[in-house]
Amino acid sequence: MGGSISKMMAKIFGSKEMRLLMLGLDAAGKTTILYKLKLDTDVTTIPTVGFNVETVTYKNTKFNVWDVGGQDKIRPLWRHYYSGTQGLIFVIDSNDRDRIEEARTELGRIIGDREMKDALLLVFANKQDIPGAMKPNEVSDALDLNNTARNHIWKVEPSCATSGEGIFEGLHWLSNNVKLPPK
Amino acid sequence: MTSTAGVRASPSLPTTQNSASTTSDVTAHKQWHRYTPSQESSVSLTATLSQPSSRAASHRYSNPSQDHTQWQKQRRPVRSQYPADSTEKHVEYILVASFDIDRGSVMEHQYPGPVGGDEHMLAELMLPDQTHLRQQDWTIFFLHKDADEETPRHKQRRKLRENGGDEENGYDDDDDDDEYLDGPPLVYVLNLVNTKQDNTVKRGAVVKAMAVCTRHPFLHIYKPLLLLALEQYFANPTVPTLANLYNAVNNMDISLMPRLSSFERSIMQSTEAKDLFLERFEAMVSQRMADTNGKPLPLTAPSPGAPSAGRGYGLPKDTHEFESVVHYANVPVPIKIPTALSPETVGNFSLVKLITTFSTPHATNPQPFSPLHPHLTTAGATTHPIMVLLNALLTQKRVIFLGHNLPSSEVAEAVLGACALTSGGLLRGFTRHAFPYTDLTKIDDLLQVPGFIAGVTNPAFAHKTEWWDVLCDLPTGRIRISNRIEAPPINEGTAFFQGAIGAANGSNGSGVNAAAGSDPTGDAAFMSSVLASIQERHGENAIRVKFRRWVVKFTSLAAAFEETVYGASSLQAHKDHSAYGSAENDLHPDVSGHGYVWPTQQAKIVELAANANRIEGWRNTRSYYNFIQDLASHYARQPVKSIDLQYLHDKLAKLRLTTEQSAHIYLAFASVVHTRAEISQLLSVVALGPSGLFFIAQGLFHPRLNVREETCALLERICDHDAGRYFWTALGRFIQMGFDRVKNTRDARTGDGSDKT
Repeated sequence: MGGSISKMMAKIFGSKEMRLLMLGLDAAGKTTILYKLKLDTDVTTIPTVGFNVETVTYKNTKFNVWDVGGQDKIRPLWRHYYSGTQGLIFVIDSNDRDRIEEARTELGRIIGDREMKDALLLVFANKQDIPGAMKPNEVSDALDLNNTARNHIWKVEPSCATSGEGIFEGLHWLSNNVKLPPK
Repeated sequence: MTSTAGVRASPSLPTTQNSASTTSDVTAHKQWHRYTPSQESSVSLTATLSQPSSRAASHRYSNPSQDHTQWQKQRRPVRSQYPADSTEKHVEYILVASFDIDRGSVMEHQYPGPVGGDEHMLAELMLPDQTHLRQQDWTIFFLHKDADEETPRHKQRRKLRENGGDEENGYDDDDDDDEYLDGPPLVYVLNLVNTKQDNTVKRGAVVKAMAVCTRHPFLHIYKPLLLLALEQYFANPTVPTLANLYNAVNNMDISLMPRLSSFERSIMQSTEAKDLFLERFEAMVSQRMADTNGKPLPLTAPSPGAPSAGRGYGLPKDTHEFESVVHYANVPVPIKIPTALSPETVGNFSLVKLITTFSTPHATNPQPFSPLHPHLTTAGATTHPIMVLLNALLTQKRVIFLGHNLPSSEVAEAVLGACALTSGGLLRGFTRHAFPYTDLTKIDDLLQVPGFIAGVTNPAFAHKTEWWDVLCDLPTGRIRISNRIEAPPINEGTAFFQGAIGAANGSNGSGVNAAAGSDPTGDAAFMSSVLASIQERHGENAIRVKFRRWVVKFTSLAAAFEETVYGASSLQAHKDHSAYGSAENDLHPDVSGHGYVWPTQQAKIVELAANANRIEGWRNTRSYYNFIQDLASHYARQPVKSIDLQYLHDKLAKLRLTTEQSAHIYLAFASVVHTRAEISQLLSVVALGPSGLFFIAQGLFHPRLNVREETCALLERICDHDAGRYFWTALGRFIQMGFDRVKNTRDARTGDGSDKT
């Protein structure tokens, strides 16, 4: 009963829920982004052992954001988080040119998975505050998004997790493009 | 006094015993073949099964009263639970792992050598999910090491047995080795993980974990040592730090802890008396003093301020625990080890906490279960969540405890608690399939295990309803049944009782739920008594005893169920009398029965019908087959075989008997219970009930003189037993006066009590 009322309210007021999965290579800034979203402060993070999950409400949308540790040994675990995911946030360290190729491979693997075929793809070109960072178009080229993400709705958003720049813009884009699953 | 005991036994007795136990072995075998074990090796099972019968024939019952007086006068040697000369180490390995910012979880050191298996997987278990969010966490996990090689202890025991006239026969313990019917003991791992913020290192933190691997189920005693040692390791991350801990814990001396037989253990578990079996502890000390050329050491109880330094031979303040000290890093660390361990009791958990967690939301805001499942929701949609959990483990469902944002130690404790709750110290096969803490990395392996019990902190598990049957969410205290749970197969038993119950109370045949509201299983009443006990702070042990009773009752119901539906049951160790029909065992019908006692046939049908679904669900599970094996081997070792003590006791307690009927029962008790072991067996029966010796002592007031006097003599023997006198004291003044009267009358008649033969 309570559940159906809140669903009705959601229809009237247009609030929705969205399950997001945030992945990326280790030290890309995923956890910092998560806590910037959640607490709107810059927290010092240490490497994530396992995962973090937080619920963030932004402009009538409740985002359920999963942030999963990025060390290469634990990347095979990412697949367990795919099912039910409506949006993938892929975080890139825009200064780590050495590993952008590695990031491209990982991203291709994720969005090629059957369970992720309907997910939106938001790429944060993170750490834009550091001079010499790759620009968004450089990132999309390096990731070859026109090709790898051709079956997905995608966007590259320049961001700086510590200042918050670009983060909420990214969320806004996700919430505008999400297709509500039939309830 | 050693192996001669067996020789002295009357020739007819061992033969009958042998044939009897062989019969039960055979039935167990038959049952076993219907079960195709996926993991355990049936070969080893067959081997162990055949041992008890041969051993039982070789020793045990000699002449009753002789045995009894010998113990009183001579003090047989008391065995140690953990002999000083044992080759078995307390702790087999020490491990250290850390979270590498580039590589994830890595193993740093293993001492004295690699524990074996997948090192990376071990390291992941040592660094639980979300460790980065807390400074300290404990985890527990089990290793199924050397599944096909024997442990030293195992080997040693087998060797002893093969040598035939082994020294074990010198001891009058009525059992006992806990045979590892389903493989060698697990390796229990207790792990401590610390996260230290450190600005001098890349990415600001160091995460390290240290673990001890032991085969002792009381692994929690190592907690203070791990705290000290991990601190040392942060300062000095080298192998010698591990070696120091390894040596310190393995130098722990617990050899003065006496060994108890299985009956004595169960008496101890259900008795609160703090000096129960203190004589055994004293005997251990005097034996030791004799061995060490009698250097006199004061027998003082260690005072709390100064833990009995080093090798002082102190006696415990409470015999339920054995106290010792581990000297590590110049700190004497006091430790306490439980004297009487039940199977499936690993680590320290709290049933009170587990029950409270899932009872409180149910009491304040009950939510009906949906979907329902015949094995689980045995009282419909509002079945108590703890009963659903208990039913889930009994019927071997996949159970997950989820504790998002909780330390992983909490989920581990819940898992261990659930195992102990369902085991009741009686059923086995839960901890062996338990994963007190696990994470997503092990999911593929986990899903290979039928009926696992796992603890996780990752809420991703909640979304995957195909991974589990029952999900117990610790933060909310709610239990969910998966919408993808498999429906139980149609079976003979429930069909049988649907007809029976329909006929009995004229319902529409919808089985158990027809009697909705009336609590036909008695579970609702049971749970309220448990919750009342918790409320009145009766303590953890009282709750464990309650669940033990529940499980004992459940197994008796299952036995009666099988006999009713299928005509026979292997859950009933009491042989059928056709196979046991020698003249002296032609028992009177008043004492020849066995099993659970119902006041009326109607009550029996109603109760069995209410339990039909979960009993059928239990049949074919691991714990069911383990129980059959245990019964067979336990039966072979138990001293009183000719009558079912529990059954007769319950008849006295529950039924209105005629003078003649009760006389037969009292006399049966008096005639079979003589030796220390036999008394232990009787006490283990009465210890489990709430009324102690009360119903047996009622024989003192029986109209027939010989019944009164035989009961009096039985109680005298019980008083001489080192646990018996606690039950005697608990009887109260009135009964004790009755005892004195019978005794005085008898002594007056026979002239002098001591002359009596």
